[in-house]
Amino acid sequence: MDNTDTGGMNLARLLDDKEAAATALIRDGKAVSFGQLRSRVAALRAELSNRGVGPDSRVALVAGNDIEFVVGLFAAWDRGAVVSPLLPSSPVPELQRKLEALRPDLILGGGAGAWVAEQAEAFGASVLVVDEQEKGDGPEVAVIDRAGSDTALAMLTSGITSDPKVVVLSHDNLRWAQEAVVTHADGIKADDVVLGALPLSHIFGLNVVLLAALRAGVPVVLQPRFDEVECLRLIAHHKITILAGAPPMWRRLALAEGPNDAMATIRRATSGAAALPTEVYEVIKARFGVEVGQGYGLTETSSLVSWSLGAEIKPTSVGRPIEGVDVVIVDEDGAPVNIGDVGEIVVRSPAVFGGYQNADEATDAVLSDDGWFWTGDLGIFDDDGYLYIVDRAKDIVIVSGFNVYPGEVESVLVTHPDVAGAVVVGELAETTGETVVAYINVAGGGQVADSSLAQFAREHLSEYKCPTSYRFVDELPMAPTGKLIRRKLRQ
Amino acid sequence: MTSDFRFESDAELPGSDLLGRLAYTVARPVIARLWDVKIEGIEHVPRRGPAIVTPNHLSFCDSIFVPYALPRRTWAIGKGEYLDSWKTRYIFPALGMIPVDRSGGDAAARALETAAEVLKRDHLFMIYPEGTRSRSTNLHKGRTGAARLAERCNAPILPVGHVGTLDVQPPDTFKMKVNLPVTVRIGEPMWIDDFGEPGDPRRMRRMTDALMFRIGQLSEQTYVDTYAGSSDTPLQKPPTLTRPTPPPARKKAKSPVLSAAGEPR
Repeated sequence: MDNTDTGGMNLARLLDDKEAAATALIRDGKAVSFGQLRSRVAALRAELSNRGVGPDSRVALVAGNDIEFVVGLFAAWDRGAVVSPLLPSSPVPELQRKLEALRPDLILGGGAGAWVAEQAEAFGASVLVVDEQEKGDGPEVAVIDRAGSDTALAMLTSGITSDPKVVVLSHDNLRWAQEAVVTHADGIKADDVVLGALPLSHIFGLNVVLLAALRAGVPVVLQPRFDEVECLRLIAHHKITILAGAPPMWRRLALAEGPNDAMATIRRATSGAAALPTEVYEVIKARFGVEVGQGYGLTETSSLVSWSLGAEIKPTSVGRPIEGVDVVIVDEDGAPVNIGDVGEIVVRSPAVFGGYQNADEATDAVLSDDGWFWTGDLGIFDDDGYLYIVDRAKDIVIVSGFNVYPGEVESVLVTHPDVAGAVVVGELAETTGETVVAYINVAGGGQVADSSLAQFAREHLSEYKCPTSYRFVDELPMAPTGKLIRRKLRQ
Repeated sequence: MTSDFRFESDAELPGSDLLGRLAYTVARPVIARLWDVKIEGIEHVPRRGPAIVTPNHLSFCDSIFVPYALPRRTWAIGKGEYLDSWKTRYIFPALGMIPVDRSGGDAAARALETAAEVLKRDHLFMIYPEGTRSRSTNLHKGRTGAARLAERCNAPILPVGHVGTLDVQPPDTFKMKVNLPVTVRIGEPMWIDDFGEPGDPRRMRRMTDALMFRIGQLSEQTYVDTYAGSSDTPLQKPPTLTRPTPPPARKKAKSPVLSAAGEPR
């Protein structure tokens, strides 16, 4: 993983050394070889050149898990552009807000995102649709060299704990993370087949699933819209060996209709983006014979911090730090805490981002001069070096000096039979400093008595962790990854 | 004084000889005579089987009053150095102290082994979760040793909070003032299984925090989320509870303070 040859490189060149006939992508049963992919990328590259897209042009890529996403991404990179992938399923106003933050020079729509062409006016930017008929008859346009430190991706974060920010990731950041996956002894092997079911607009699905697999030269089967039954069918049909998912996907797979040997070909199953509930892990293991290993990462770290590769899986842990990633757990003064104690997870690696776009203050708050990134996540190491995520640092509620981690309280409340969802936040209180307040979404929209919830909480939680107030809401703010957006309920 | 005290002896453990029995037989009526010891929650001590007794720690004499309050004989770990002094060489082991050499890197592991042995033999084992005496009089953050023992030996933890020992024997004094009241409160047993999945370090921390909360209720102390130790200022009045102020916003993120080897401690 030597990154010294930054005189001229381009991440997009990872396609170049692959066998032309080897399968790169499969979508709807149709295979696209590396050779075909390269020609489509070259054709679009020429078209983008005509459109004036060049080094540091900003390109928003609105496509689903489609071939067009991959073609658009590589063609834009070939031209030296900075790409911002966006979910095509976002409603127009949301997409508008995102595009306002990104201010792209060009919007590339493709596959499930081709509809953006009809809304070009609303978005105030020129739109180009990537389709199957890219014109390849013009003169060949060369790939533009970049420095490794040049920006490749400008990723809009989901804004779980703060306002959305744009994370700037370089060609080197992404390359290092991909190589970490590909070169690991248990990473990607020549005969692997990868399922691309996670959204490609998310760093995990993009860099660790799609791009790492393409770098390794193995096929990626794209699943455009997650459906658990279809997912099981794709696994069996394409003999998928590597499956990465987020907790909501794994939960649905655990209960999916389908044969229990549907995952017989899976040799590596991973979960990221949020905590995988132990019962989901257990059901997947018992039913399909597959152990799901959790990993941990953030957009700011090009997705990689820790994983469960190459070691025994501990179901509640997010695995061990990836080789080359320094991970320490520290107190507020930056002093490492004892093993077994909770502190903030601080990370340094070649995959750590360069900062937030046009937000120096936000960058300075989390990134030290020598490259340490304060994740804002609280964690704990065990004696064997496995990492466990506790909660977001900002979400802690302090009751009489004791730390209450909302996630723990929420995980108890949702086991109450009448509770569909729960969000726990802190509020100021006279004698205890803060107090725990729970927002409850009742299953089936019915009613449940405060007293029933209070008694349930007392049976399962220490007294200081029990909510002192229950508020009933019709809907809880939740990100697609399954993360609760608590700040929306904090007052 | 607890009338139905049971002196458990165990040939494999110190203090089971005649001297041990004698020490207890003599000490108990003397304590009952010299201090007004009130004991609450004695029904929470299991009649048989192992349990981990976890009191708050304010004074040297806690090690006298807490074992006194229990209806069964208890063991604890003490500094190996006590065996070097003629004053303590015989009496401390007789009272159930198991000396552990605190020098060397694996001292904690050795202490844990010793404690596990006591529990495996179905006895009571006493450990101060704060690790050392609180000089601030606040209740400090708990160390996870008791929870680790609970997991390893499948033993309950008995939270204990006491009030009054600091007046009997203030820090750095040898003499104990008599005729003072001491209250020892024993809480309901706590089981590690109620705190999460086996092997998960968050479970140890969760149980330890819950334990400290219970001890704080029993001892009427204010909890502070820092370890008791040298930075713990002597004898402050407990602060009144106010809204916890968040740390000042970081102006510029710092690098972690790493040791020379670059390793967390």
